[in-house]
Amino acid sequence: MIRFEHVGLRYGIGPEVLTDINFTLEPGSFHFLSGPSGAGKTSLLSLLYLGQTPTRGLVTMFGQNIGQISREERKNLRRKIGVVFQDFRLLAHLSAFDNIALPLRINGRPEREIKENVDELMDWVGLGDYRDMLPNTLSGGQQQRVAIARSVITRPRLLLADEPTGNLDDEIGLRLMGLFDQLNRMGTTVLIASHNTALIEKFGHHPKLILEDGATRLDKPYPGLKYKMKDAS
Amino acid sequence: MFIFKYKNRSLGISKKPEKYDLPLEKDKGGRFLMILIGLMTFLMILTLSASFILTAMNKSWSQGIENKATVEIQTTAPDGESLSKEDIKAATKRAKDYLNNHPYIESIEVMSDAEIINLISPWLGGENIMDNIPLPGIISINFHEGVVNDPNEIATELQKIGPNIRLDTHQGWLSDILRLTGSVQFAAIMMGLIITLTTVVAVAGSIQSRMAVYKDELELLHLMGASDRYISRQLQRYAFFTALKGSFIGMIVGWLVIVFINLYAGNTDLGLLPNFTLSYFQIVSLLLLPVILSILSMLTSKQTVLRFLRQMP
Repeated sequence: MIRFEHVGLRYGIGPEVLTDINFTLEPGSFHFLSGPSGAGKTSLLSLLYLGQTPTRGLVTMFGQNIGQISREERKNLRRKIGVVFQDFRLLAHLSAFDNIALPLRINGRPEREIKENVDELMDWVGLGDYRDMLPNTLSGGQQQRVAIARSVITRPRLLLADEPTGNLDDEIGLRLMGLFDQLNRMGTTVLIASHNTALIEKFGHHPKLILEDGATRLDKPYPGLKYKMKDAS
Repeated sequence: MFIFKYKNRSLGISKKPEKYDLPLEKDKGGRFLMILIGLMTFLMILTLSASFILTAMNKSWSQGIENKATVEIQTTAPDGESLSKEDIKAATKRAKDYLNNHPYIESIEVMSDAEIINLISPWLGGENIMDNIPLPGIISINFHEGVVNDPNEIATELQKIGPNIRLDTHQGWLSDILRLTGSVQFAAIMMGLIITLTTVVAVAGSIQSRMAVYKDELELLHLMGASDRYISRQLQRYAFFTALKGSFIGMIVGWLVIVFINLYAGNTDLGLLPNFTLSYFQIVSLLLLPVILSILSMLTSKQTVLRFLRQMP
């Protein structure tokens, strides 16, 4: 489903942040991506959500070589991907409801459907009482839940999350991990970048990629998965 | 509703859905665009009105003497010798007879002495002075409409009748004035083009700066898979309504200035300026100007946004 072959990434004329990345993510799989800060987790995620173009190598997503697809096809691919950014990236002038509804509006869904889905999800993530609140009046944890709800509202085929539970207490964190797990069981491929080892251990049945000194190791065998990274620092 | 919306917002609540995914509604940069478009509309209204006035003047002057000419029976012979009243009267009669029988001429009118005195007395003084100087003969000619006539032929014939008879078709001074008003009209058109170009550049610059300010938000929409059209539509709408507001204000001010100028200039007794009444087409043109400028702003915004988005991966 998603295949990286000899992929490298460099920003401008700087050194390569990612070197010779090779891995395959099977449809419906669930992975953790772990490693020290600055190892390139966010850069790898940006390649996956098509925020960056690899400087070399071959990336295949949903059966399409992203180096050979048109801009329109890239946009269609992006709509299949949900992303939880580390800094949330909520739109400050939109209410929590409108932030979560944004991907549905971009997809041109009717307003009635948007209202139903968003209200239901907001209740589920415990934000039912904060529907009309602007992000700057929400706590860090609440903002994070808005960001997570926004990433899953379209039931994406691939969910990428960068430290999605960083600001959440254990209970909410586990609940949201449960949401990711549920989405995964519905067929969504999930890749979560996190250094919350406690959380990762609780979901220890999922394969874990660990970055160490520019190299990676897989903590448990998983067929077809190889991973190599160079430390950017 | 407006107050409630902003009161709620200050409390961190947003009950009404926003018009735009980008925070354009609260964008102070929009005011700059609005003022600029307002000024451009104001200038455009004045330019267009000036152009309309010049067109009316051209038309008025051209139509006033169209198919018309004047025959003057001068008071002196070509050698400078003064002619008697009787000679002038006789030459006037001969000219009248010739003109009456000319196939191209519809009608003629010989001005009476009283009319001539009335015409030239402002320059030469009262009626008493006129008793002592010979008056020229003046005949107004109306040609048949649409007849292609050769004034030189008539002028030559009149010279044969009397060497002191001169035909004035007004073409000399009229062509000079028409050339002058034509030049001014050309300048007005150029000014209109410059205003249009300035509007396009200003809108493009304003939209570019908005996109630079909201680069993160644009990138987020882009990463969510928003189509270029989806994003550009928002900025198009923003540019359209901002321009519409600005140009509407500019139009109102422009109209007020024109009304004032019309009232002020309308008090002159020169008779050179035609009554400034706009045709239906001209009124519609001026009323549509805000819409035209707004559509222009919208299209400019679209091109600017699409060019910007094409640079994104």
